[in-house]
Amino acid sequence: MTTTHAKVTSGETRAWRSAYWRWLVEPYFYVGPAVLTIVLVMLVPLTIGISYSFQSISLLKPFATSWVGFENYAALWSDAKFWRALMNTLRWTLGSLVFQFSLGLGLALLLNTTFPMKRLYQALVFLPWAVPTFLSALTWAWLFNPVIGPLPHWMAAVGLLSEPYNILGDPKLAMWGPIAANVWFGVPFFAITLMAALQSIPSELYEAAEIDGASAWQRFTKITLPFLAPMIAITVMLRTIWIANFADLIFVMTGGGPAASTEILSTYVFNTAFRKLDFGYASAIAVALLFMLLAYAVFLLWARRRFVKL
Amino acid sequence: MARLELKNIAKRYGAVEVLSEVDLDIADGEFLVLVGPSGCGKSTLLRMIAGLEPITAGDFLIDGVRMNDVPPRSRDIAMVFQSYALYPHMDVARNMGFSMEIRGEDRSTRADKVAAAAKTLGLSALTERLPRALSGGQRQRVAMGRAIVRDPRAFLFDEPLSNLDAALRVEMRLEIARLHQRLGATMIYVTHDQVEAMTLADRIVVLNGGKVQQVGTPLELYERPANRFVAQFIGSPTMNVFPVVSDGAALVLGDGARLAMPDCDGATALGVRPEHIDVAAAGDGLIDGTADVVERLGSDTNLYVNAGDLGMLTVRRAGNLPVRPGERIGLHLRPENLHLFDKAGLALARRA
Ligand SMILES: Nc1ncnc2c1ncn2[C@@H]1O[C@H](COP(=O)(O)OP(=O)(O)O)[C@@H](O)[C@H]1O
Ligand SMILES: [Mg+2]
Repeated sequence: MTTTHAKVTSGETRAWRSAYWRWLVEPYFYVGPAVLTIVLVMLVPLTIGISYSFQSISLLKPFATSWVGFENYAALWSDAKFWRALMNTLRWTLGSLVFQFSLGLGLALLLNTTFPMKRLYQALVFLPWAVPTFLSALTWAWLFNPVIGPLPHWMAAVGLLSEPYNILGDPKLAMWGPIAANVWFGVPFFAITLMAALQSIPSELYEAAEIDGASAWQRFTKITLPFLAPMIAITVMLRTIWIANFADLIFVMTGGGPAASTEILSTYVFNTAFRKLDFGYASAIAVALLFMLLAYAVFLLWARRRFVKL
Repeated sequence: MARLELKNIAKRYGAVEVLSEVDLDIADGEFLVLVGPSGCGKSTLLRMIAGLEPITAGDFLIDGVRMNDVPPRSRDIAMVFQSYALYPHMDVARNMGFSMEIRGEDRSTRADKVAAAAKTLGLSALTERLPRALSGGQRQRVAMGRAIVRDPRAFLFDEPLSNLDAALRVEMRLEIARLHQRLGATMIYVTHDQVEAMTLADRIVVLNGGKVQQVGTPLELYERPANRFVAQFIGSPTMNVFPVVSDGAALVLGDGARLAMPDCDGATALGVRPEHIDVAAAGDGLIDGTADVVERLGSDTNLYVNAGDLGMLTVRRAGNLPVRPGERIGLHLRPENLHLFDKAGLALARRA
């Protein structure tokens, strides 16, 4: 490129033009379709959504639509329900994630050993994914119902509950209902991704470590975990974002109640938009959630780059 | 430092017998080399000594203590893997000091020992690199360093040089020989490269099909192979073996040539190494043949001679031999360097 440029004289302008065409213009024709698709499918809706958050759009007042600047965000800042939903989102996400991850990892480690009918068990692990979310939410809601479900009776029997009642109706405990359903639903994801990562660890490293004197626990912490770290970082990041946005189970099992005790940001967005029909405010909540998740993802990617050596 | 004893060791995977009747007594400080063709059970035997494979039958003792059921980490044996098995997420220093890290030794002791080992192996400048940023030879050194810092009772090597190029292989071979001289430790070394075996070993164990064929010093194996397999496995180019008929006082070769030989009853095959055949003018030798291919190596000349009924014979002479391909030549077999084998392939004892 530079050599072509340096040599430009009046007689070589044609060559320069064709080089210009070849290197500066032509590539954009190739990436054009992909860029266009991304813009149409992702950026346009995103921009429209974000722009809603700076407007007052309420279906109840269809003619009062107008630009309001940061008014929605100011309202958000002083909205106690928003902060409460944010805290609930944290509880929901963290509670689900911790159990999904630790049970998923445990299951992956178990499935990575050798035992009879291993393939059958590996296949069974997928099962929760084959059940529609809506159906699993209903089933779990019934499981927690003392009239038809066994769970309250069991929990009372082992002393977790004073008497068999429906925890979904107790503002203090209601969140654990959807979390339990979500753990059941999310364990396969971790189990399968982590199992794949486990299988990629060369068995010789364990043998070398064993000869170097490492105990089973030391082999786990010094070889298995570092090897799983990249997969853990990426799956935890994806899962956190999915769980934080995942309203189906809560919506079906508790509808955000009782007394808004299971209202998370994404159900709050849904309720604001489709129950109160206030799209401007709903968009502001959604944008706030988007930026928090974005900050989280950036932090996790940074941590991965900083600490993961593989 | 330790004496290792294998008593009637066998290994089976289900019904498949991989090793059987392995009896070895490895002296303290000995350099023992296991050779054999691929799949003969060398790695399996080494892994049983390390404790990575359970021993199906027989006893394995270190300094007189039975080790069959002792886990690898309690055997105090170091092993260098063919693929090196370096921990990819740890830098060179941590790889080398891993065993001390496991034992909970403090940082400064660790650093000192690692630095000393790195120095002897010429790795001092690389201690902060990850294995993926090292060349094959450097990785090999790190794997050795990891074994050295432990000061173990015995070292096991499983084809440690087979992933290196020829020049590096020679260099590392010397390195290992020096290491053994310096440490005086018991070492068991698996290879399928007979040059490595001949140059490094105090004693060589030749394995084939899961059975020990012969145990002996490199020269014993070269001069007095116990059977046809060992005879043809040790030595390069391979020993020539052809069928003969014995009449008690002489051997009759395929083409009718007679070779006077006392005590040759029962011999059905005659073996002679390429370097023990002399070349003469056509008609002057015991055997006549046509030089098919002539390989000039500078220091030596290899002739591949078509000897009619006897088949192809390999001849190796020092220097540059003035033989052209297609030329007819005569061959003399040096009687003092002949090997006789019976029907079962066992060597017949020969008088000196
Ligand atoms: N886990 C196993 N199950 C069945 N056979 C095995 C197993 N591991 C090794 N073998 C068999 O044992 C024999 C010896 O293997 P190995 O010790 O690796 O040979 P070498 O190192 O001499 O090339 C081979 O024939 C191999 O197929
Ligand atoms: Mg092997």
